[in-house]
Amino acid sequence: MAEDYILRMRGVTKRFPGVTALENVDLELRSGEVLALMGENGAGKSTLMKILGGAQPPDEGELLIDGKAVEFRSVSDSRRNGIVLVHQELMMASNLDVAGNIFLGSEKSHWGLLNRRAMRSASVALLCRVGLSCSPAMLVSALTPGQMQMVEIAKALSHKARILILDEPTSSLTLTESEQLFKIIGDLKRDGIAIIYISHRMKEVKRLADRVIVLRDGKRVGELEHDQITQNKIVSMMVGRELTNWYPPLRPKANYPPILQVNNLIVPGAPCAVSFEAGKGEIVGFAGLVGSGRTELMQAIFGTTPSLGGTLTVDGQAFAPRRPRDAISRGIYLAPEDRKHHGLVLPMSIAQNISMPDIHNYKPRIWLQRGHELVVAKKQLESLRIKAPGVKHRVGSLSGGNQQKVVLGKWLAMRPKILILDEPTRGVDVGAKAEIYREMMELAQQGITILMVSSEMEEVLGMSDRIVVMRERRMEGVLPRDQATQERIAALMTGAGKIDKSIGV
Amino acid sequence: MRRELGIFCAVVVMCGFLFWSNHDFGKAANLLNVSRQAAMLGIFAIGSSFVIITGGIDLSVGAIIGLTGVLIAKISSPSVHCLNHPLWVGISIALGVALLIGLIQGLLISRLKLQPFIVTLAGMLLVRGTAQIITHGGTLGLGTSPLINLSTEGLFHYGYHAVLAYPMLMFIGVIILASYLLHGTVFGRYVFAIGGNRDAAQYSGIPVDRVETLTYVISAGLAGVAGICYASYIGQMTYYVGNGYELNAIAAAVIGGVSLRGGEGSVLGAIIGSIMMEVIQNGIILFKWVYHSAGHREVFRLSSNWTYFITGAVILLAVLIDQLANILNKRKRLKRQAQIAAAKQ
Repeated sequence: MAEDYILRMRGVTKRFPGVTALENVDLELRSGEVLALMGENGAGKSTLMKILGGAQPPDEGELLIDGKAVEFRSVSDSRRNGIVLVHQELMMASNLDVAGNIFLGSEKSHWGLLNRRAMRSASVALLCRVGLSCSPAMLVSALTPGQMQMVEIAKALSHKARILILDEPTSSLTLTESEQLFKIIGDLKRDGIAIIYISHRMKEVKRLADRVIVLRDGKRVGELEHDQITQNKIVSMMVGRELTNWYPPLRPKANYPPILQVNNLIVPGAPCAVSFEAGKGEIVGFAGLVGSGRTELMQAIFGTTPSLGGTLTVDGQAFAPRRPRDAISRGIYLAPEDRKHHGLVLPMSIAQNISMPDIHNYKPRIWLQRGHELVVAKKQLESLRIKAPGVKHRVGSLSGGNQQKVVLGKWLAMRPKILILDEPTRGVDVGAKAEIYREMMELAQQGITILMVSSEMEEVLGMSDRIVVMRERRMEGVLPRDQATQERIAALMTGAGKIDKSIGV
Repeated sequence: MRRELGIFCAVVVMCGFLFWSNHDFGKAANLLNVSRQAAMLGIFAIGSSFVIITGGIDLSVGAIIGLTGVLIAKISSPSVHCLNHPLWVGISIALGVALLIGLIQGLLISRLKLQPFIVTLAGMLLVRGTAQIITHGGTLGLGTSPLINLSTEGLFHYGYHAVLAYPMLMFIGVIILASYLLHGTVFGRYVFAIGGNRDAAQYSGIPVDRVETLTYVISAGLAGVAGICYASYIGQMTYYVGNGYELNAIAAAVIGGVSLRGGEGSVLGAIIGSIMMEVIQNGIILFKWVYHSAGHREVFRLSSNWTYFITGAVILLAVLIDQLANILNKRKRLKRQAQIAAAKQ
């Protein structure tokens, strides 16, 4: 019965120049239901949610709220109908306080004058509902990403949301914060609020969702009820084929000759110094929760944030990196976590991005040799199987996976000794993921040392020869592959395991 | 508030130093003159601050000051080549034109997504050009127009001088209104939110376009008000009155802690920044150093050619000190952490 549904989207189509982002998509939602929306990157999830949130109009199709057709021309139209979208990238004005952000766009006021006191006192109740105990007068810039997420949800609640859209809400949360979020989702469900939950994390989906809708290439390809949800079913719907083996076969255990030694490195903000070593051709995985200090450690090794003490030894030569140049000149390269901001210049071409760190070798005298630049880039394009019309193509219009490959290509053209990969497959779709794993294994075989930071447990277990677990900005333990299990790593990550420093440090 | 307090202290120290070097600084005529100048600068510096806090910039302010004065002179002055209409007609038309210019610029920037720098740069040239065409490149006198008295007359007389001259009264009015608008209303909150995180503002359902457009209207409108004061103060209008004033407004705002990155600043800051700018100008004229050389009493004075140099140095110094304080604080914090970390080793 149509009247059961609080929301129906029928035949929604959206075209962008060159691509059809959504084709004839239907979606229906009951109140008090958690609907998981899944699909690879570029499958059309965010476009669909933008249409629902009023940020973009559909080209075709209709929206029915409580059985009545509606048309959203702006975010506030959609909000008036009780639909609130919580973005993956937190949308906070960091120069305002918590109360200011919660009521941003719907300030309590009297004849245009702000009523700060009313907003603060109303904030207290909302913060309490999301389990946050900070003061509403606190500046948002002082909060952790997890706390900001809760403020976003408090903001959604302040709009009396009937339909709450959560886009990858746990991507920046710690385990405890995620648990807190799941509890709140349970509470909201009981209050009759419908939730559309977008996530790549199977476990969360299995646990939370009453129903799953899977999108692929802008089309709705399937729907599963709660008790039908299995990882394999969802993944095969998402990629359109059975995906059996993501990770390359395990390499036999080997003794890697040492190449990198980190001695008592003091990372800014860390409670104690860090020491470890890595062998030639070894893949060392760094596991830990978000905020456990892995990225900061890698930035200190690469020299983007200089360490406050300690040294690195590469091939027997000791040095303390003060700037990226110091690390680069010794063959240590970093593919950063936030590749759109730190890894690539989006408006520039593939070739220009690849030549950038090595630009001095492209000019024998004064003039840049564009031809040489193109040849080098073409070689990387082919060997990494980057899907692009050509090396002169703008990096900004590539997909996440291909962008990551350009970042890799930029460093591979410079023959790395040590390659640091910070979240190498974040925002990369399933197919490209497998290719990146294969590439990593090949590099390791060639004798390149890889330090890989990853928040995906399976990735860490599937790729690493040795696993360093970090917690609260210190090394909590080092596990060789054969002794690492999901449970052991999780215990160390969360501080439930005993300190395991004896092995391999 | 830290920034505003710091600059306020600096202004007090500067005034003390000037008074010590030349007691003329403390004379009523001089103090009233400096405060009138500061008031006129402050009026449009506050307007500019609205734009800067949203993350924009308005380069047309100085030109609008010029055009307002020229329009008033052309319409209301009894002199030759002028139309001799009543003063209120001239002022209303001039202010209306100023607001219209702000509206057009604001719409171009917010609706068509043109860059503020380019739009207001073109606007500056167009507006200045219009003034030049109206005056035929020459001068329009205000003659016997009652406007002449606006900058000198006022409330509470002290000798021949009005303690609160009309520009000062207008400034006080603008301060009260702007403080309420920026720090007390929903509109002001939106101005800060847009400068702090435009996307967040957009996704919170804030009418970003409308708020942004209004900041340019406010900026242009206050430039128009300042233009009236300057016309009265100078007594005759040429097209280049107000030339470069947009940069004075930006400088005053920045000295007072308004960040060009957007999202930061206050009306109080813009006021103190304006006072600072005018005290510097006044100080360069008044500063003297009496010394004895070979038994003769000699007086060293700064040439007015030093104006730009010293103003530039003060602006640089103000942002430099602020940034150095930030860096030092951060370094101190990191060093403390490193010591703790090393001790645990």
